[in-house]
Amino acid sequence: MREEIWVEKYRPMTLDDVFGQEATVERLKSYVRSGNLPHLLFTGPPGVGKTASSVSIAREMFGEFWSENFTELNASDERGIDVVRNKIKTFAKTAPIGGASFKIIFLDEADALTNDAQSALRRTMEKYSGNCRFILSCNYSSKIIEPIQSRCAIYRFRSLTDDAISERVKFIAEKESLTITEDGLKALVYVAGGDMRKAVNSLQAAAFIQKDIDEETIYKITATARPEDVLDLIQTALAGEFKNARDKLNVLVFEQGLSADDVMNQVYRALFKIEDLSDAEMIQLIDAVGEIDFRITEGANERIQLEALIAHFALLRRKEKE
Amino acid sequence: MSVEIVIQNDWAEKYRPKTFKDLIGNKKAIHELRLWAEEWEKGVPEKKAVILYGTAGIGKTSSAAVLAAEMGWEYVEMNAGDQRTADVIERIAGMASKTTTLFSHEVDEDGKKSSGRRLIVLDEADNLHGTYDKGGSKAIADVIDKTTQPILLIANDVYGITQTIRSKSMEIEFSRIQTRSLVPVLTKICQNEGITAAESAILKIAENAGGDVRSAINDLQAVTVGKTEIADEDIVISGRDVKETIFKALVKVFKGHHRSDALDAVKTLDETPEDLILWVDENLPIQFPNQSSDGKSANGINPDVANGYQVLSKADLYLGRVRRRQTYRMWRYAGFMTTVGPMSVRSKDYSGFIKYTSPSKWKRMGQSRSVRNMRDNIAVKISARHGKSMRVSRNEIIPYYRKLMENEEYAIALAGESDFDMDELVYLLKAKSATKKVQSVYEKSRFIADAKRPAEPEFFKTPESEKRSTVAAADKNQLTLEEITKKSEEKKAEEEQAAAKTEEKPKNQKSLFDF
Repeated sequence: MREEIWVEKYRPMTLDDVFGQEATVERLKSYVRSGNLPHLLFTGPPGVGKTASSVSIAREMFGEFWSENFTELNASDERGIDVVRNKIKTFAKTAPIGGASFKIIFLDEADALTNDAQSALRRTMEKYSGNCRFILSCNYSSKIIEPIQSRCAIYRFRSLTDDAISERVKFIAEKESLTITEDGLKALVYVAGGDMRKAVNSLQAAAFIQKDIDEETIYKITATARPEDVLDLIQTALAGEFKNARDKLNVLVFEQGLSADDVMNQVYRALFKIEDLSDAEMIQLIDAVGEIDFRITEGANERIQLEALIAHFALLRRKEKE
Repeated sequence: MSVEIVIQNDWAEKYRPKTFKDLIGNKKAIHELRLWAEEWEKGVPEKKAVILYGTAGIGKTSSAAVLAAEMGWEYVEMNAGDQRTADVIERIAGMASKTTTLFSHEVDEDGKKSSGRRLIVLDEADNLHGTYDKGGSKAIADVIDKTTQPILLIANDVYGITQTIRSKSMEIEFSRIQTRSLVPVLTKICQNEGITAAESAILKIAENAGGDVRSAINDLQAVTVGKTEIADEDIVISGRDVKETIFKALVKVFKGHHRSDALDAVKTLDETPEDLILWVDENLPIQFPNQSSDGKSANGINPDVANGYQVLSKADLYLGRVRRRQTYRMWRYAGFMTTVGPMSVRSKDYSGFIKYTSPSKWKRMGQSRSVRNMRDNIAVKISARHGKSMRVSRNEIIPYYRKLMENEEYAIALAGESDFDMDELVYLLKAKSATKKVQSVYEKSRFIADAKRPAEPEFFKTPESEKRSTVAAADKNQLTLEEITKKSEEKKAEEEQAAAKTEEKPKNQKSLFDF
């Protein structure tokens, strides 16, 4: 049997399948019912359903002709003003197919367009609004120039809740006849961090190894340390026990095979879980993490940088105590 | 399966104003615009071009269209979606502005007067960008000089237009439309489209739009799709990035007690750390005022402000790293420090509410960037003339020029020989804008500049430019070559003198021309 990528296989085909964005999806469905669509601007973090919603709109509106009347451009690949002026114009100029009254241009990562390109886009949007609708997607709407915001209905997609992710994961697990333990599900949700794409990818990777999925498999396959272990590492360091902390770090890096980037990401997330830190302490710690994160990109030996970080942590708290 | 699709229309276009009566808000601006148009009916006014500027969706383009319609003028439009190299602008606008329509000064069938004018509209005039619109700005300036037809430039940011063009134009500002003026417009559209709308729902849409009519109409159309009735709870469209939301977040940043509140508030904002830091920067010294122990404001700096800036400075380091290395991961550190920073350095709670202000720096940045660019342009011209490096020209020769040009005669000579344009002269003459003095220096310097420049190619020759070159030729006779050389020798001596002077008191110089 040919293996399929699950994010594609389980990509929502209809708006009803788009998870965790109920209010927004409800509005989008009413566009489909009326057959009428304004220009749209979708904003939000990755993996929350922006692309999925756009494709679903096209599928539901155009039926079998959806792929002829829908084009997807990734602005971060093709970002100059020339793309807007030429490529979009070419697509926008030809008539829609199969009795549709307009076509949809989906412009992913529109915030990567230069301001010049965005300015050119705004007139293009108006000029071709007779037979073309634009759906722009971006992470930050503040990077979209005001005149374009003014031409679009804006929908913010929120980070997905843990429940939304675990519900979808359970659904896919059932379809693929996998079993997943409660702890495994929790681990998957932690790894995903609100990003459905990441959750589904991780699930598929785990399923590749075994059909019974538990916590262990998830952390292993995603090169993620248990959140408790990372927290323990930080607490040990903050207690001033550098040697112990260093041993724990070695376990993460050598035995579990975490990259320095993985460690930094998890340390950053774990810091927010420590309750008894003052704002000033927190700033110091975050700054230390940021500085080391930067040095990792500049330096040659990641492990030295990580050691420097925990050494710094150990010293910080000792200073505080004195 | 294919869904039946109804005939499509865009309300923002459908309900575009057709007459002056349909235009809402900006009464004064529209009045000024009409006065200017009336002048054209009598002849060619002093300012042949008008710049309409203001934020998006408040009626600039609509006003232009209405003006043309009501005056019975033809409407010729160009915008940034088209390529606007100097050639194209010359060809379209140049032609449109010089030819007159047939049947000039006749009355048409509707009884409207037709003066045969053409209104040339350059939309997005602040978007003439470097390589793609090569020479665009200069071409527009030339067209304004030559035109016998009214020209309208439309822009969001008036600072995006060069000083040369601005000095030749009248500027009219459009402002955001008030919520209460928006409500009747939306209500009327609802009536027309057969939609029953709750008053509160309309108000919500109007408020959401942040003074932008097009947004309001788009949002209305968006929420009413497939409905004949709308209520409050139907409005799920997200607010545009208007100030209210950032103000709410700033309260949590400056006054809050829990970092998680501030972080959450900022998270929902959808601002990049690069924008957020400007807001915090602008408000930090205002929100942490320097108070003496009895609560009165005092001189000196509040340590909380100083400490706050230390944190912001660190946050900025991360932003710089992101910019240089494209490591967007680092944004989180900058964002965290900007958000939690003020709270972490605050030594006490500050009582009383102090208004939050929006970062004026955005505007300043735009301006100072153009000053920097212009200084580089000047340096290019000077380095070509003196055979010095850009660096020397910029840092050492420009200051002399500015000193020398305090004398009008030298100003004219130097301006002519280096062919400085109006923007550059504004800077060199230390003027704030293109004042009468700057303009007169510019005009007078043209004789020298034209004499130095190679002859205009046949293709571009117009009656005006011919006239100008004959005048220049005649003038060249008056100011002989010898005189020019003599002048430049004098100037050289003066330059040396000035150099000697500056060496005597270098400290003074440094503060004057601190680059």
